[in-house]
Amino acid sequence: MVTDGVQTMTTTARPLVQLEGIYRSFVKDRQVIPVLQDINLEVGENEILCLVGESGCGKTTTGKIIAGLLEPSRGVMRVADRPVGDYRGREKALLRRQLQIVHQDPFASLNPAHTIGDILSFPLKRHRMTEGGAALKRRIWELLTMVDLTPPGDMVNKYPHQLSGGQRQRVSIARALTVQPKLIVADEAVSMVDVSIRITLLKMLLRLRQELGLTIVFITHDLALAKYFAWEGRIAVMYLGRIVEIGRTPDVIAHPAHPYTRALLAAVPEADPELTRHKQTIALRSDDIPRLTDIPPGCAFHPRCPFYTEGTCDGHTPHLKSAPGRNQQVACIPVQQGALQGG
Amino acid sequence: MSLDMNKVVLSVRDLSVSYQARRGRVRAVSRVSFDLHAGETLALIGESGCGKSTLNLALIRQLPKNASIDSGSIAYTYRDGRTINLLDFDKTAMRRYLWSECSMVFQGALNSLNPVLRVSDLVYETAAAHGIGRLEALTRALTLFEQVRLDAKRVFNSYPHEMSGGMRQRVLLALSLLLRPQIVIMDEPTTAVDILTQRSILDVLKQLRAELNFSVIFISHDLAVAAEIADTVATMYAGEIVEIGPVNDVFYRSRHAYTLSLLNAAPRLSAGAETLESIPGSPPDLIEPPPGCKFHERCAYVQPICRTTPPPMVAYDSGAGRAACHETARVLADARQKV
Amino acid sequence: MIGLETVATPAGLIIGAICGLVPLAAGVYYRKIGVGIGGFIACLLSGFACGLIGGLPMILLTYAVVVSYAYVNRQDPFTSRAALEDVSFEVSRIEQLQRAMANLGITVRASWKALTRNKAGLIGFIGILFFVLVTTFGPLFIEYDGAAHMDRRTPGSRALVAPPSAEFPLGLDWKGRDVLSHMVHGGQRLILTSIQAGILATGIAVILGSAAGLLGGAVDQAITTVANFILTIPAFPLLIVLAALVEFDSDFLLALLFGVLNWPTLMRAVRAQVLSLRERDYVQAAMALDLGLWHIISREVFPNMVSYVAVNLIFTIRVAMYSIVGLVFLGLVPLREPDWAVMIYTGRQQGVLFLPQAAGMLLSPIIAIALFQLSLVLFSRSLEEIFNPRLRSGV
Repeated sequence: MVTDGVQTMTTTARPLVQLEGIYRSFVKDRQVIPVLQDINLEVGENEILCLVGESGCGKTTTGKIIAGLLEPSRGVMRVADRPVGDYRGREKALLRRQLQIVHQDPFASLNPAHTIGDILSFPLKRHRMTEGGAALKRRIWELLTMVDLTPPGDMVNKYPHQLSGGQRQRVSIARALTVQPKLIVADEAVSMVDVSIRITLLKMLLRLRQELGLTIVFITHDLALAKYFAWEGRIAVMYLGRIVEIGRTPDVIAHPAHPYTRALLAAVPEADPELTRHKQTIALRSDDIPRLTDIPPGCAFHPRCPFYTEGTCDGHTPHLKSAPGRNQQVACIPVQQGALQGG
Repeated sequence: MSLDMNKVVLSVRDLSVSYQARRGRVRAVSRVSFDLHAGETLALIGESGCGKSTLNLALIRQLPKNASIDSGSIAYTYRDGRTINLLDFDKTAMRRYLWSECSMVFQGALNSLNPVLRVSDLVYETAAAHGIGRLEALTRALTLFEQVRLDAKRVFNSYPHEMSGGMRQRVLLALSLLLRPQIVIMDEPTTAVDILTQRSILDVLKQLRAELNFSVIFISHDLAVAAEIADTVATMYAGEIVEIGPVNDVFYRSRHAYTLSLLNAAPRLSAGAETLESIPGSPPDLIEPPPGCKFHERCAYVQPICRTTPPPMVAYDSGAGRAACHETARVLADARQKV
Repeated sequence: MIGLETVATPAGLIIGAICGLVPLAAGVYYRKIGVGIGGFIACLLSGFACGLIGGLPMILLTYAVVVSYAYVNRQDPFTSRAALEDVSFEVSRIEQLQRAMANLGITVRASWKALTRNKAGLIGFIGILFFVLVTTFGPLFIEYDGAAHMDRRTPGSRALVAPPSAEFPLGLDWKGRDVLSHMVHGGQRLILTSIQAGILATGIAVILGSAAGLLGGAVDQAITTVANFILTIPAFPLLIVLAALVEFDSDFLLALLFGVLNWPTLMRAVRAQVLSLRERDYVQAAMALDLGLWHIISREVFPNMVSYVAVNLIFTIRVAMYSIVGLVFLGLVPLREPDWAVMIYTGRQQGVLFLPQAAGMLLSPIIAIALFQLSLVLFSRSLEEIFNPRLRSGV
């Protein structure tokens, strides 16, 4: 689809969620902070989409908009080809449930006042997902088993403070699953759990995606984790409120096109001493990230970009487009013009 | 960088720390021994609750009131060759020791800087407390700020809130070197910062280390950062150092099942599609630790002996490191064996 | 609230005894006779004191405790370690109800344990209980001594007041009446009015604070403006002025007035709490799960501020009590005997302040009020442990 010459990268699967020209700003101390600018994004059914970027790039805000927790300031979000604003009444309530979110902090995402059994029973009861007490209990057990919290009987009467961080994240995921969602936004869902436990959680999410046909929007600042998790899906790299590059994970990771993506990938240390010490890093022109209240004109990355071309980069705002010799889409005018090969 | 393996700066022997919780005594650090050489960077890696932060606090004698050092010694060697046991120091001696011999850089850069003090105030106060004149302090600070790639004059007159997270972290790094200590202890210095900021901190650290030749104890849960900057890596599990050795040995020829499992759980950017295995279960209760090897409940290489007998520390064949694992041979066979 | 002022009546005793039969029978049935007898006594006392209002809730609590003892070792399929395939969750209605009761009982016992673990809190609780028992059941044993007794004058003395003696342990007041009887009969009204005032102020504060915090916008603006306006009025002087204009013949009216004037401070605290709780991840998750506004208020937000509110309730009760005593002391409220505050007032009026033999008459109500206040303060210490599940479980 095309809006003002902006292409949205289409996925092979049927699109579940489409963001079209989404803007979002917040007002703080009487200053308008544009957190998202012109986000165009499609998430296909049963797809894995990773949003990566540094703090302040807008990935969490995008996630919250997708999960229905925030309204965009401008632009349209479509779910199953219908604008969200067209949903009314029961359909709207159902839509809301189909988009769920799992938060980052396992210590803040569960109410300390309730047992695990209660936490799972609230949405099940409220939305009449089960009939009667026995079915409710069975469903709670099923959900706990699904997220590998076994034996479930040991869990139901525990309070969140009695569980480890990893176990709490599992409860959060189980809670999101109570309402049988179609899409789950995992906002840095494993970044606060230990390295040794992350992979189990990610594998479980991948398994649930298979079993339940879930779509997963995975938000992270950890590129290696994004690469592992979304190997079969896509990655969108964000910088200062815009998507600068989007494409299939192997393409983006192995052949990054945007200078920002290249700099990020080159900067990540690797758990391999020889490799990481001989990695070619890219020197930026500046280490300072511009403030969101003072975003540079043209390409927001141009004051730091090592490949900055005067007149082009600071004069025109680049939009996501496919570039010659690339499988992914990139918002960088020199790359779109065929410069900056390699990567 | 001049790594002098003949000069030991800090020598920790059999250090045990426990603290009193409501349920009983938590053995947070048990019988930890290691040597830190001049110019060496030692990375202590481990997951939350493995005792690395407690060890850090014990090294600078800043343990909370309910904690106690149960055994061991921490021998520090001054530049002039004198050696003392840190545990014999009183508060005054410890204050003199900190900053001038051993300084610290902590995780939360914003919290470590007093919001109402300018950077210049911090510089002058720290210098005055250790008997260094204002002019000397000013020159040193400006040089250090240049070295950490900051706009020295601007930063010198700034308040903490006027700087970004990465700048603050670099200011702290520079301040920690103001009194030219022999050791800098860094507790997760790159954990809460962004990728590009982390990169610039790591680069600055490497460069400073080469120019000023100090030793670093780097505490982190991040294997990749350790791989990048450490000369020596120590893996900690349940309060013990289970393996310690040169970085390439630990990463490519791991001898301890936990080290290898941890490496196999860390995704790698350059590896393409990979199969990773995480470690089942969770770290043991340090009030009543399991018998035998403390890792045996989660270990893929477990044998009957692991459940009963704690494994002894065995030196590598090369003598460069040591590991405490009954199944070293099998672990080594599975290790990545690159380089 | 109105009409709660019951003194122990024979009807109450019967109600209490009947209520007590339930836990007693349950205790016998489940072979937990000791617990059953304890439940019987608790029901008897509360029924005796407050009739049905006291007896019925106590049946629930004591029965739950008895059942929780009986169910402690009984396997619940929901918490069994069996595998999903092997478990049947089909249980009868009665069994379900019993389990719910057992869970309630476990919470009651854990709260009780948390209370006894904190020594200061326990002392406070015992203190409060003492005053409640004395003012409720004391009148059964000590008759009210209302008329003047000219005959009790000590020969040679000019006044009727007398220091404590064997016959009158707290001495005689200015009319020669037994101070002890006034102490026993004169506390209930003061305590109940203070509690009413505290509950009203706290209730208004919680409702308005939650509304302001959760709804925001114009509602928030309006409530905050009113609160700020009331905060600028000095409450006690206003009470004095109003008391001079209005006849406070109803205690409830007095309590209501106190409530209306004292909610703003707590309201602002509650609003701040709600605002911060609203941003918690679990509240966001509840919104994403579409659990509804009422659920978010009552189950997500409120449980996390209940201990804070309870501590403030106690605090407000204390302030209310001092305010009422102050009003009485200044003589701005219609005086009705027997009443602790009136004892202090008349003591001053009659000039007994300067008579050493009047110490019993003057000090008794003062010490009683001070001790009751102290008990409240001590008790508030353990509220956090009772309401916070983490502290309650004693981790």
